[in-house]
Amino acid sequence: MPGRAVDREDRAAMSNDSIALRSAAEWGPLRRLDPSMALWLLMIAVLVFLVASPTARLLVSSFQEPETGHFTLANYRDAYFNLRHLTALGNSLELGVGVALMAGLFGVPIAWAISRTDMPLKGFIRLMVLGAFITPPYLAAIGWILLAGPNSGWLNKLWMILSGEVHGVFNVYSMPGLILVVSVTSFPYVFVLTNSALDLVSSEMEDAAQVLGAGKLRTALRVTLPLVLPAILGGLIISFLESIALFGAPALIGLPARFNVVSTQLWQFFEYPVRVETAAAFAMPLLIITVLMFWLQRSVLGRKGYAAVTGKGGERRMIQLGAWRWVMLAHALLVCSLSVLLPMTVLLQAAFAKAWGRGFSFDNLTFENFRYLLFEQTQAQQTIINTFLYAGVTAFAAIALSLAIAYVVNRRLVPWSNVLAFLCVAPFVIPGIVLAIGFYAAYAPPPLALYGTGTILVLAFITRFLPIAYTSSAASIRSINPEMEEAVRILGGGRLLAIRKVLAPLLKKSLAGAWILVFIPAARELSAAIFLVGPNSRVISVMLFDLSEEGNFEVLAALGTILLLVTLVIAAIGFRIIGRDFMLRRSV
Amino acid sequence: MTCILTTSRRDILKGGTAALTLGLGATVAPWSVRAAEMTSHEKDLYEAAKKESELTWYTAHSDDVTAQALGRKFQQLYPGIRVNVVRTTAQVAFQRVSQELKAGAMQVDVLSSTDIGHYVYLKEKNLLEKFVPENAGKVFDIYKGYDPDGFYYVTSAGLIGMACNTSKVKLADAPGNWTGLIDAKWKDQIALGHPGFSGYVGTWTVTLRKLYGWQFFEKLAKNGPRVGRSINDTVTLLNSGESTIAGTAANNSTVESMRKGNPLAMIYPTDGTVLILAPSGIMKGAKHPAGARLFMEYLMSVDASQIWVEHFNESMRPEVSPPSGVKSAKDVKPIRPTVEEISKGIPEVIKQWRDTFGV
Repeated sequence: MPGRAVDREDRAAMSNDSIALRSAAEWGPLRRLDPSMALWLLMIAVLVFLVASPTARLLVSSFQEPETGHFTLANYRDAYFNLRHLTALGNSLELGVGVALMAGLFGVPIAWAISRTDMPLKGFIRLMVLGAFITPPYLAAIGWILLAGPNSGWLNKLWMILSGEVHGVFNVYSMPGLILVVSVTSFPYVFVLTNSALDLVSSEMEDAAQVLGAGKLRTALRVTLPLVLPAILGGLIISFLESIALFGAPALIGLPARFNVVSTQLWQFFEYPVRVETAAAFAMPLLIITVLMFWLQRSVLGRKGYAAVTGKGGERRMIQLGAWRWVMLAHALLVCSLSVLLPMTVLLQAAFAKAWGRGFSFDNLTFENFRYLLFEQTQAQQTIINTFLYAGVTAFAAIALSLAIAYVVNRRLVPWSNVLAFLCVAPFVIPGIVLAIGFYAAYAPPPLALYGTGTILVLAFITRFLPIAYTSSAASIRSINPEMEEAVRILGGGRLLAIRKVLAPLLKKSLAGAWILVFIPAARELSAAIFLVGPNSRVISVMLFDLSEEGNFEVLAALGTILLLVTLVIAAIGFRIIGRDFMLRRSV
Repeated sequence: MTCILTTSRRDILKGGTAALTLGLGATVAPWSVRAAEMTSHEKDLYEAAKKESELTWYTAHSDDVTAQALGRKFQQLYPGIRVNVVRTTAQVAFQRVSQELKAGAMQVDVLSSTDIGHYVYLKEKNLLEKFVPENAGKVFDIYKGYDPDGFYYVTSAGLIGMACNTSKVKLADAPGNWTGLIDAKWKDQIALGHPGFSGYVGTWTVTLRKLYGWQFFEKLAKNGPRVGRSINDTVTLLNSGESTIAGTAANNSTVESMRKGNPLAMIYPTDGTVLILAPSGIMKGAKHPAGARLFMEYLMSVDASQIWVEHFNESMRPEVSPPSGVKSAKDVKPIRPTVEEISKGIPEVIKQWRDTFGV
């Protein structure tokens, strides 16, 4: 059935249009009053509640006096007439640019090697990239603190043994250190976009270049890569945006390194006395930069590169790299080591160690850290349950909402459906920590008084991940031919019956993929949670942050391992039912 | 360094020293019999608290392990009441309290901060619930009557000295007093907590600013110390070999780690060990008022002091002897600013710290 549906898609799209036109003409006046209008109102109300209202509240409160609510510019003065705050802003930009460049350096060669060459071990490398993708940056940060602490890190100890020096060479507590830590978790964005663009490039242009005498390297640099330049830029921009919005990794590394970034500075505004208004004012550059960059990325990616021109029609052959394929493999393995193999090894060692500094030996092996967390810590059990419960509820809710909206938008059941679509993807441009401030300002105090409840966390998470849910849902809905539902309706069935009996079964698989795509980031989300959790609604990410104050890396690593383990199981299920690359393909 | 003690505090300390000495000789009451000994006041509280079924405790008084042990012991003594133990640094705990106040949704029932200024502020704003625990009269004299109006009570005490990793430096070579920290030979080897997080470190900063002026910290900053957040983090840094000297080391967490076999030594500076008296109080509008009261009683009980001592903290009660072979407040030269100096000083030094240390 699905196969036939796709075959007929073109015709269906046309008939769909004409039906929509006809029905609008015939029932136009009635429609204004019929349930679809109520449906639209309901959906818009939900979206305003989730997206528009917290954002508006953020904007408004940045101009308000804390006590009186009168208009003022004082918040902006407090936020920007301070050298330390401005330095934090500069640091965020430095971090963003550094991460974008590093992510490019890491991601582009691997994408090229996998898509266009005969490099060996492609399957393994892809798996590692997926691993990097599901690793929360704050766990990578903890891994790298264990690896590159200036005196105690494993890499430095190794260096000291090999070189006989008394000081290490790597210092994770520095801007370059932070850039590395964030890059190793965000290069998958560059990889994915570049890789999928390269998959569309046919070999003909490369052949032409080689006929004209260009070598393989020259061909790659002068012909292939320029073809996918827009995709690469798109990936770099996403890495940039991800990194300037991060809170966990900068908090873990920036503080001992003695610098702030925007997110950690925002956190400071929440110290006593809580200055939400100043925080709102200080969040504005993050919001504006994100909107601008997102717009830039859209317009760059909008051109689809030059690759789309050639399409999939051409012949694609893998380039024979000869000895160079080992060079490419070495690069890929280096990146995989930096991003997954090394940090995960030391993280696991610490999780099962009595004292991580005592190294890899059997007498240092213990389950005590897990026992402590699961049976002695009064909060951990509840926290672990909360984490996956909230992530699960978030995923169901976000998908139900976005699916309903994608359906009415695609089938044009209501007027002004593009407003709905816009609101669904708008949270793309709101960094998590900024969203949390908006939610705090809008829904923490009465009348809703949601502060400290699981509800406010789930609502914030739904908003944060609505764009992912919506893009997935919209793509699935587009792939379903309306003819089949129409058949149900012609035979007398209602729309709900059509949705339940026809649409739902067809969408099952792709919705499972979308569910996982929302679940995984929701389970690890820190920045949107940090200002909203209460003692009964704590989640793993926040607990990790609290525990990290004492630097108790063994327990931290154990908690991180639990988080990763559940994530891996969920990802593996997705892997089974949906296919290996489902996350990488669809998340960006 | 008695010069920084106010008259009243000095008197209290003297009295306290006597009481602490007395405490040495006393034997520990077996706690298995205490359930039967529940006073009627305690029984009433327990019955009322059971109806609330849980309570939330924000604590900065100890590391997570000790805090969880205290919470578990309470649950064991009073079945049917769950304690949410949220251990953070003092300023993070207070940040959450402030957020809750601003949102009008009080989540915490009992607040155990290490920054006395928090209580001064909360009391002034009429945000604390007045409650006089029965046990308040049974603690060492030094801890009695901290707030004459009965809004908060000392429920924990600790010492801040220095510590060193003895596999890297001999105790004899380590700095013997605070000013030793600014010696250039410790460049890049010192670990510190952060006054913007830890109430212990905040009080320490106020004390040392008073002793040596802010220039001390400017010189200290030139030595490139590794600044963490909690005071307990410095022990982690010593254990991992990341740092050699802990410029701020809590007596209890250092000794506990030492007893686990880590190569550490505690240093009690010749110019004085900073004494922290950390209070607890019940928040006004707390969701579990009876549970909160019962918990206040518990914090000053023999049972809680047992746990404190097991984790090398000071005992609150004369019935419980301090752990053997560990120095406590009576064995060292304690220094401590006045309540007013701390509550006024900590917000100031946080600002100064950020300017001097960059974060």
